[in-house]
Amino acid sequence: MSLTGRREGGKRRAWILFVSSCLPVSILLSSEDARANPLDAFGFGSRETAMGGAVAADVSDFSAGYYNPAGLAKARGFELSIGYFRADHSLSMNGMNSGVDPVKGIVGGAVVPGKIYGLPFAVGVGLNLPDDRLTRVRALAQDQPRWELYDNRNQRLWFGVNAAISPFPWLQIGGGVTFMAATLATLDISGHIDLIEPTDSSLRHQVQADLKSVTYPDFGARVEVTKSFALALVYRGQFGLDLNVAANVKAGVGAGAAGDLTTLALALHDDTIDSFLPQQVVLGGSWKLTDDLRTNLDVTWVNWGAYVPPVSKLETQLSAPLPPGTTLPGGVMAPTTPAPTVILPISIHDTFVPHVGVEWRALTRPTWEGFVRGGYEYDRSPIGAQTGATNYVDRDRHAFSAGLGVRLLAPGKVLPGDVRFDVHGQLSVLPTETTTKTDPSDLVGDYTAGGHIWNVGLMATVGF
Amino acid sequence: MRIPGLCVAVAIALAWASSADASPEDLFGWGPRSPAMGGTGAAASYGADAAYTNPALLSLVHHNVLTLGFSGATFDLHADGAGLPGRVSVIPAKGYVVGAEVPIPFGGILRDRIAVGMAFYTPTDALLRGNILYPETPEYALLADRAQSLAVRIGAGVDVGYGIRVGVGVATLAELVGGIDVINTAGTVGAHVDDQLVAKYAPTVGLAYDLPFDRAPDGSSRWRIGATWRGKLDATFGVNIDASKLSTLNLPVFNIAGVAQYDPEELSVEVAHVRDGWTLAAGITWKHWSAYPGVFEPTIICPADQDCNALTPPVVAYSDTIVPRVGAEKLFALPRHVALRARAGFFLEPTPVPGTLPSSQAYDQTTQALVDVPTRFFDTTRYVFSLGGGVDLGDYGPFTVDFWGQYHLLASTTVSTCAGGSCSPDPGPAKLSGNVLAYGLLAGVRF
Repeated sequence: MSLTGRREGGKRRAWILFVSSCLPVSILLSSEDARANPLDAFGFGSRETAMGGAVAADVSDFSAGYYNPAGLAKARGFELSIGYFRADHSLSMNGMNSGVDPVKGIVGGAVVPGKIYGLPFAVGVGLNLPDDRLTRVRALAQDQPRWELYDNRNQRLWFGVNAAISPFPWLQIGGGVTFMAATLATLDISGHIDLIEPTDSSLRHQVQADLKSVTYPDFGARVEVTKSFALALVYRGQFGLDLNVAANVKAGVGAGAAGDLTTLALALHDDTIDSFLPQQVVLGGSWKLTDDLRTNLDVTWVNWGAYVPPVSKLETQLSAPLPPGTTLPGGVMAPTTPAPTVILPISIHDTFVPHVGVEWRALTRPTWEGFVRGGYEYDRSPIGAQTGATNYVDRDRHAFSAGLGVRLLAPGKVLPGDVRFDVHGQLSVLPTETTTKTDPSDLVGDYTAGGHIWNVGLMATVGF
Repeated sequence: MRIPGLCVAVAIALAWASSADASPEDLFGWGPRSPAMGGTGAAASYGADAAYTNPALLSLVHHNVLTLGFSGATFDLHADGAGLPGRVSVIPAKGYVVGAEVPIPFGGILRDRIAVGMAFYTPTDALLRGNILYPETPEYALLADRAQSLAVRIGAGVDVGYGIRVGVGVATLAELVGGIDVINTAGTVGAHVDDQLVAKYAPTVGLAYDLPFDRAPDGSSRWRIGATWRGKLDATFGVNIDASKLSTLNLPVFNIAGVAQYDPEELSVEVAHVRDGWTLAAGITWKHWSAYPGVFEPTIICPADQDCNALTPPVVAYSDTIVPRVGAEKLFALPRHVALRARAGFFLEPTPVPGTLPSSQAYDQTTQALVDVPTRFFDTTRYVFSLGGGVDLGDYGPFTVDFWGQYHLLASTTVSTCAGGSCSPDPGPAKLSGNVLAYGLLAGVRF
């Protein structure tokens, strides 16, 4: 080896050392901002959704940040993507529409590839921005029937920044850390409560609230076994959105604007974990059967067994002592602390989710190409039969998807790369089944639940 | 520095960095250069700095660069006088900084004309801190808590030609809104919770013009003027707690709300001059603080069709401010394209808080009556001195390292805290003073 070559080799080793030791830090810094339940359910990007989400070994655009960050290192050039999707639920219980909110929003991102010391390196940004809100924490009583995995969990921002390198032509590795905001708040209320006209109460409050970051890792690897066959392994970390609010009320209580009959001491502590995302491991394969035909298979292990249902854990302490024999205005007796709700454990288990997808380059012309895509995903319900007091409703899901794509090659001097347009449609069918309660006197009783979900979207990508 | 050593240095720095900021970019600036140059940059920025200082100058970007680092600040704030603690306890701020600058590789007439940039800061302790304290609690809310906030800014700049550059950008924050309804079913307590994080956005528009005279030998202009307008960026905390069904007591609905973060609308104008390795910049920033609603909101919301006697929070008459800034950078070119840069700057940040604060009302449980209490919402004018430097490794590697430090000297100020009221005991004037040390260390890589 020449001196120059040795020096270049030293630089490469230094760069690999730099990347391998700094990448976790850099990703922590650049990091991602949110989480992926809507992506699990409805995909990320039209091409990927149309292929049933089976792209762990076959993705290099902005969506690689979710499906497999390692794929970013396969990007051919700078890319910008933007699109929109909407998923409408037609889910019902006992023939009544459950009114699950649609999931809709902007999808997009960018991939910035480059090289350092000859090693392919790329940074990718991906965004799923819901129209209505960044996140929502919603907790219902555990006996209130709700579509547990669709009711609120998909109302969530996902913003990811990932990085990837390709230390060898046959290997790509990448990853990132995603973080979202959990709320931790302490509220103090003081003053005087007017029991006759509560809105005349002389109360003040102070707040000490933090939006805390919650981090979880994602990383992946892609190995090109042969020119036409690649394998991928992806890990996605566990996540839960926590809302922890402690409210302390210490106020005089009386009839009128002033004068206390007693002092109310009320402490409320509410802790709710919502939008729980279990950790996942994806094993994927991609076969290029011909120059124009590719088929993919992914299997995802989902650790649903660790699931925390979004039921509010509320603790209270209430004290308003009165002298013996006296009552509050209106003959109201001194209140007592009510008992807390006992939260029943949820019956839920891990699942394996198969995804299959196929992409066919159906048309090849000098200036454009046309693609046809299809896919299927089977989500077996992880939630056990709701025969007791809880009503976490769920059903198996069969998701059939299809899509079309057009790629314009070098459409002009300003755009020397390509421009792509992709559309997708996905129909998720949740077979109708009946849940039978073991207790004939159950307040909710037996119910029949099922339905379907339509998901449509489109993407535009400019590649340079 | 060897590359692994650089990495270790960055990692160690990240590990111990212990103070940082909150609308940190408004307090200290953002990026490798601007904070060292007195917060200038509307005309003098290049690279990721421009995502905050002036997105039009992102059009100067011609390489992919990723910047990582940390910044922090420690506070030594004092409030002396009757009933005051002397030193006001403040948690140091610290956080991670990420920047990205990416040229968009169009061809034809758009070649080398458009670039995008991102400025990102995340505190290590909390993405967003909302401390809304009772008015009589001494606090420097515009200084300390504002340094505990996530910052996300994205911008794009276009070189229009003829020396004109334009840019747009957006900044975003999240605010919490919702409610907790306490329910009591047959003696068992539970809750319905529905809270949402909602995005708040603020636009940024930038403009720069290379003056067509006094050109350097390579034809570039030695003079540039720049202007940046940034929209208001605020985030509230609002949770309604309805415990009226908890017990037999007829409790009101508690409106627990306030403004957790606030950056006023701003307009910066600046001129920069480049000659013989020197970059000199001077400018002013107008801040529309008079639109600031203050942090407080009433605990009881009076129905629209009803007259109520609920307490109303104090109203502070904030005033607009004008911030003058100057900054300088000296480039030392070394062999093999290695470059060293030294930077310095100064800015004067006047306080928007008046010297006379109104009294606040509170219910005193001892006398069982409403009383006046002082309003101790403190802030003072700051004199800010900044220094910094950087190195570009040139042919030795695609890396840069930059650092900066700022010393904020709080002007000694006397504030009246009970105007228009009859606080008992009379709190007397509050004497304010202190200083802030802010710093940052960033490493960049071209790829």
